[in-house]
Amino acid sequence: MKILSFQSFSVSYSADAPPALRNISLDVNERESVVVSGLSGSGKSTLCLAAAGLLETYPAVKRQGVILRHGKNGSEEPRTAVVLQNFYAQITYLRSTVLEEIAFPCENIGLSREETFRRVGEAVEKIRIGHLADRNPLELSGGEKQKVVLASAIAVRPDLLILDEPLSQLDPETTAYLGDVLTELKKDMALLIAENDPYLTLKVADRLVVLDEGSIVSDGRTETAINESTARYLDLPAWTVCVAEAAKKGLIRKEPASSLYELDYRSAIKMLRGHG
Amino acid sequence: MRVKYEGVSFAYGSTEALRDITCEFGSGRTVLIVGHNGSGKSTFLRMMNGILKPAKGTVYLGDVPTKEKSTSELARRCALSFQNPDDQLFAQSVAKELRFGIDNIGADGSLLQPIIETFHLGEHLGSNPYSLTYALRRLVAIGGSSAMNTPVLALDEPTAGLSIREKEYLGGLISLLKKQGKTIVIVTHDLNFLLPYADDMLMLSHGMAQFCGRKEALFERGDGRELMRRSGIRYPVYARISAALGSDRVCFGPEEIIDLAAKK
Ligand SMILES: Nc1ncnc2c1ncn2[C@@H]1O[C@H](COP(=O)(O)OP(=O)(O)OP(=O)(O)O)[C@@H](O)[C@H]1O
Ligand SMILES: [Mg+2]
Repeated sequence: MKILSFQSFSVSYSADAPPALRNISLDVNERESVVVSGLSGSGKSTLCLAAAGLLETYPAVKRQGVILRHGKNGSEEPRTAVVLQNFYAQITYLRSTVLEEIAFPCENIGLSREETFRRVGEAVEKIRIGHLADRNPLELSGGEKQKVVLASAIAVRPDLLILDEPLSQLDPETTAYLGDVLTELKKDMALLIAENDPYLTLKVADRLVVLDEGSIVSDGRTETAINESTARYLDLPAWTVCVAEAAKKGLIRKEPASSLYELDYRSAIKMLRGHG
Repeated sequence: MRVKYEGVSFAYGSTEALRDITCEFGSGRTVLIVGHNGSGKSTFLRMMNGILKPAKGTVYLGDVPTKEKSTSELARRCALSFQNPDDQLFAQSVAKELRFGIDNIGADGSLLQPIIETFHLGEHLGSNPYSLTYALRRLVAIGGSSAMNTPVLALDEPTAGLSIREKEYLGGLISLLKKQGKTIVIVTHDLNFLLPYADDMLMLSHGMAQFCGRKEALFERGDGRELMRRSGIRYPVYARISAALGSDRVCFGPEEIIDLAAKK
């Protein structure tokens, strides 16, 4: 079932600005994970803001087309949670400990104390920030703040979780286990993630949407979405970069170039060893 | 200009952030500082240009202890670009933002034009920084700090939020500044992209230095992998590929891997 549906949606931040999104048609289904990639300025963050219903906060915005949202159990609106690219601005400044900070959105949707307590505990465990529980959310490192905002978002158990570059300040170990956490969360919610990290995409994306200058240039299953025509908009896995470069230099003679992008690590190593 | 930390400790109230750090970066070196979230990387950088002063120990920029200098004197020696670019930007236009640091310390502005070109910022000079995308805001922040032309430049997570295109621009800037003999100290989680540019590494874990020295030395150590794991660092993917290809020398970027493949 569709949870979010962009239909011929376009938007500009002001009357004289070029469109940030052009004629976007995109569906996100229940329990589906969609990763959106593309160069800076391609419209990823605008797509996240629009999906989260936050474009309304920009007074001069001009738009066309519609965004439809369908909640679970016939409710009109899906419960939506978002972590923005500038997550620093999402810290409430109202709470003096990390636990209270994470509880804030749960209390806001009217959950009981016990239920809030349970969900906060669960989120803290998932994101592995137990050691920060009693700290002041304003007195944390950059990556620690990003984790706190992420925990606040998942604690409300949204139907749709929107993440704009969720890995930007996270250390590599966290990045690796966050991939597992998101895979687990996907069983209960839809994910819309703006991210260029190819390793996260390969791990969690059911679909990869590639944006360029506000338009969708590719939308499909992840395995096939990384190909010759989309490669220039994407951060590619290191092994793919190596094989593609080696092929350019004539070090790898084989099949048509397009298949180079579907390589997994093992087949890439084989090719680079010279017997692929 | 060399940078030296001697027995440096620091705490924010009761939160210990750095413990007894001793390390030295030679003049003209490019250094990557890595470590898990909260390991003390940003604190280390803030101490380099004197925003923070050590509670114990001494930080030297060149031969001068930061304790003995005012913040404005230190600003002529070391410029710092913040982890969150929005903490740094405040001017009305990109052009003013890029000039601000130069005018502030009375620096020689000769780097400004090359930076504008390397970062492709020419068409944005008249824009308000806050109307730009996050990636461009970061480039403006990094550009403004670099343009101050200080002998030491500190960058906190410069690749965060950049797409591959701007990362390449950043690589261009590092190469340019390296040629000028700058000491460049970079906090990053993006080893896969930045390792080829680096000479040295400092690895922090829970505020303590786990390793400080030539990057090759970390990979040659028997316990290198274990040290990285303990600091929240995954073994860099190009190093992994070079090992899988049976190379006895570790590779840090695609060019080196291609050279290996060419020899096969
Ligand atoms: N303003 C502050 N007040 C109190 N404690 C702080 C403050 N800033 C950071 N800390 C704490 O000091 C320690 C080191 O933080 P620092 O910001 O240096 O880490 P970092 O390595 O830069 O982390 P990240 O990768 O997340 O940016 C952490 O325990 C952090 O929670
Ligand atoms: Mg930091």
